[in-house]
Amino acid sequence: MSSDASAPVVSGFSRTGTFAFPYLLLPSFWAARNRMQRRERGDSLRGLLFGGIGIVVVGALFYGAYWLTRQLAAYEEFGDYLLRLGLSWLFLSFLAFLAFSGIVTALSSFFLSDDLRLLMTSPIAARRLFAARFTRTLGSASWMVVIFMAPVLAGVGVGRCAPLAFYLTAAATVVPFAVIPVALGSACTLFVVNVFPARRARDLLMLMGLVFAAGIVLLLRFIQPERLLRVESLPDITDFFATLQSPITPLLPSFWAGEALFAGIQGSVDWLHQSALWTTAGVFTVLLAGAHERWHFAGYSRSQESPKTRFAKFRALDAVAAALPLSPVRKQLLVKDVKVFLRDVSQWVQLLPLLALVLLYLYNFQVLDLERMAFIGSFVKNIYAFVNLGMAGFVMATVAVRFVFPAVSAEGSAFWIIRTSPISMHDFLWSKFWTALVPVLVFTEVLTIAANQLLGVDPFLKVVAAGAIVMMTFALVGLATGLGARYPRFGADATQAAGSYGGVMFMIVAVLLIIVVIALLGWPSSIYMMSKTGLARFRLTPVRQAIIVACFSAVVAICMTTWRVAMRSGVRALDEMRK
Amino acid sequence: MIAVQNLVKIYGKFKAVDGVSLNVEPGEIHGFLGPNGAGKTTTMRMIAGLLKPTSGRIVVNHHDMEREPEAAKGSLGFIPDRPFIYDKLTAGEFLTFHAGLYGMTNGQVAGRVDEMLELFELTQWKNELIESFSHGMKQRLVMSSAFFHRPKAVAVDEPMVGLDPRGARLIKDVFRRMSERGVAILMSTHTLEVAQEMCHRVSIIQKGHIIAQGTVDEVKQIAGSTTDEHLTAVFLKLTGGSGLQEIDEL
Repeated sequence: MSSDASAPVVSGFSRTGTFAFPYLLLPSFWAARNRMQRRERGDSLRGLLFGGIGIVVVGALFYGAYWLTRQLAAYEEFGDYLLRLGLSWLFLSFLAFLAFSGIVTALSSFFLSDDLRLLMTSPIAARRLFAARFTRTLGSASWMVVIFMAPVLAGVGVGRCAPLAFYLTAAATVVPFAVIPVALGSACTLFVVNVFPARRARDLLMLMGLVFAAGIVLLLRFIQPERLLRVESLPDITDFFATLQSPITPLLPSFWAGEALFAGIQGSVDWLHQSALWTTAGVFTVLLAGAHERWHFAGYSRSQESPKTRFAKFRALDAVAAALPLSPVRKQLLVKDVKVFLRDVSQWVQLLPLLALVLLYLYNFQVLDLERMAFIGSFVKNIYAFVNLGMAGFVMATVAVRFVFPAVSAEGSAFWIIRTSPISMHDFLWSKFWTALVPVLVFTEVLTIAANQLLGVDPFLKVVAAGAIVMMTFALVGLATGLGARYPRFGADATQAAGSYGGVMFMIVAVLLIIVVIALLGWPSSIYMMSKTGLARFRLTPVRQAIIVACFSAVVAICMTTWRVAMRSGVRALDEMRK
Repeated sequence: MIAVQNLVKIYGKFKAVDGVSLNVEPGEIHGFLGPNGAGKTTTMRMIAGLLKPTSGRIVVNHHDMEREPEAAKGSLGFIPDRPFIYDKLTAGEFLTFHAGLYGMTNGQVAGRVDEMLELFELTQWKNELIESFSHGMKQRLVMSSAFFHRPKAVAVDEPMVGLDPRGARLIKDVFRRMSERGVAILMSTHTLEVAQEMCHRVSIIQKGHIIAQGTVDEVKQIAGSTTDEHLTAVFLKLTGGSGLQEIDEL
């Protein structure tokens, strides 16, 4: 059978086949346009909330960068030195982030994305497909960095009264700077998917996630910023800067970007480092395109193999479930939920960055030397006990909106199994609640107790914080479960469900609840702590004691009411589905 | 035409497809039958260019899928068992995008979109988001996209799943008309009535091997069945499921 390239491919139509690669990005634009045209309930609220938060964050970044730049400007040459160092460090930290983000995003956009099933059967040249997917990967992996960098660099520019050309230099620097690590990350994914069996590729990427999370912790600990707080270590300031400088070598793109921008601030152009950025980005892209053309189809083909079952024999879970005093139905629901969660790497891998930040947070408390502030040390410590409580509350709300709120939605198209089974919606939803409550409670309780222990706060506050966490966990997990049942998104993935109208509602109510709880606990606690000073005017009178009891009781009442009302509302919503 | 020669696909140590060969000539509807897990979908996905064969050759309308994937795919219409459609696009937008993938110019597309939507009874849904479609409507939309660029060969995996009788009838009519116009159709299906009614020839695959190939009557001969025996009985004999048939007959 001979192959005949000149044979008519399509009768009736001439195949021009020359649409440029951006054509392949059209569905995303059309989908976004359609989404904007067809507004859903809660769009305005969501827009207002996220838009408001965005404006505040961008404003804070701009002002912070502006203020710092103005302060550094006062130190002339030393200030310039610190600014260059700061820019290089800024880019260095984003270098690692972009490389990791490139790895994860490339796995999705080059190998796992659903629309590849359509595109791979269409007559699209490998280069066109690469260009479209790499553009998408670059956009998805770097938009957050660009949004963060824009106000920071604008703040630096305004702070140094930089010429207009600086802003053009910034744009011309950020683009190739983002391309380099994302191309490297994509190459890494291409390698992993081709070299290792596809069923192991996801595990390896998960491992890389762990390494990345650990890397961030190590990086931040490496520079030991708390040393600046110690007056006695000031003579070692030169060592400190030497430490800062050591990982910044002239071979890294972060150094080139920092130098190029510093030249831009001074009104000149650093052609050497700009050229290094652009040529490296160009070479990396060309090499990646070649590698893609050679190995992408093989990797894509492998990535479609069924993944190996994870936790196939999870006997420990079965044993624990068997030992629990639960009805057989609840036991089965519990085992099913836990196994589904553990087998979906894409779900629990998202906990890793959060875990890294929490570890960093705890470590900072350990190294924070508040004893040197003799008079205010204990006061600051006790204030920190409530900062801790707030932090634990926000961690709890974040975990709840991402993992607990979508619990009902996660049943997806399989929800008919539950609805046609002889299980009441009450049993079903309460099973979801208890399954989520235990890990969230253990996690936040450990976080709070450990942080307070490391800080050495007053024992009374330790007990108050530990009790408050119990109350808040019941309230927030109950709220997330209940609202998740009231506003389910069965067709959406967990991230989409978390960002839906119900998810936003949950976050607003959760933040308000945390603020109210901290206010109701903080005020009476301060009355109690003041009384321990022994001063007559801070004496614990019966009225003050009554206020303390009333405030603490109010916290219990608010949390328990939130919990019960949200759960009852969720059960009612599920029951009403039959109507 | 679709020509498959000695196709092999190995996953780890498991040989999913083992030396499959078949030819679908212009105007022929070729049924590709087999029990669950026999290797039908893997074969279809290799023909569509979604999976890389371990060895063997696939030629679509004189274009080798390995050496000229674009030309081969450009002349093939593929309807997968689990199709992907962009939920947030309208039916009209989806077909327009599909046309662009196959290199059609704007002037040719608008009329063809209306024509195909009318043929598959989706005209009134042209400007509706696909996410609001029923399974059957999505299936018909995917079929309309597969025939949109007037391919000379079509590979279709389980075409009747989820279709109501009217939809199934429509699809059968479309397949027959396309076949009369010289389109080669390779149809993987579990619906043996459809295969018996529509296919000029069939191939039966089991455990990765083709165990019978020919016209329905030829396959019956291979199985040692009489010509008036239904294809279901023949299929069960060939694939070792005759015990089930006996249970049915009790």
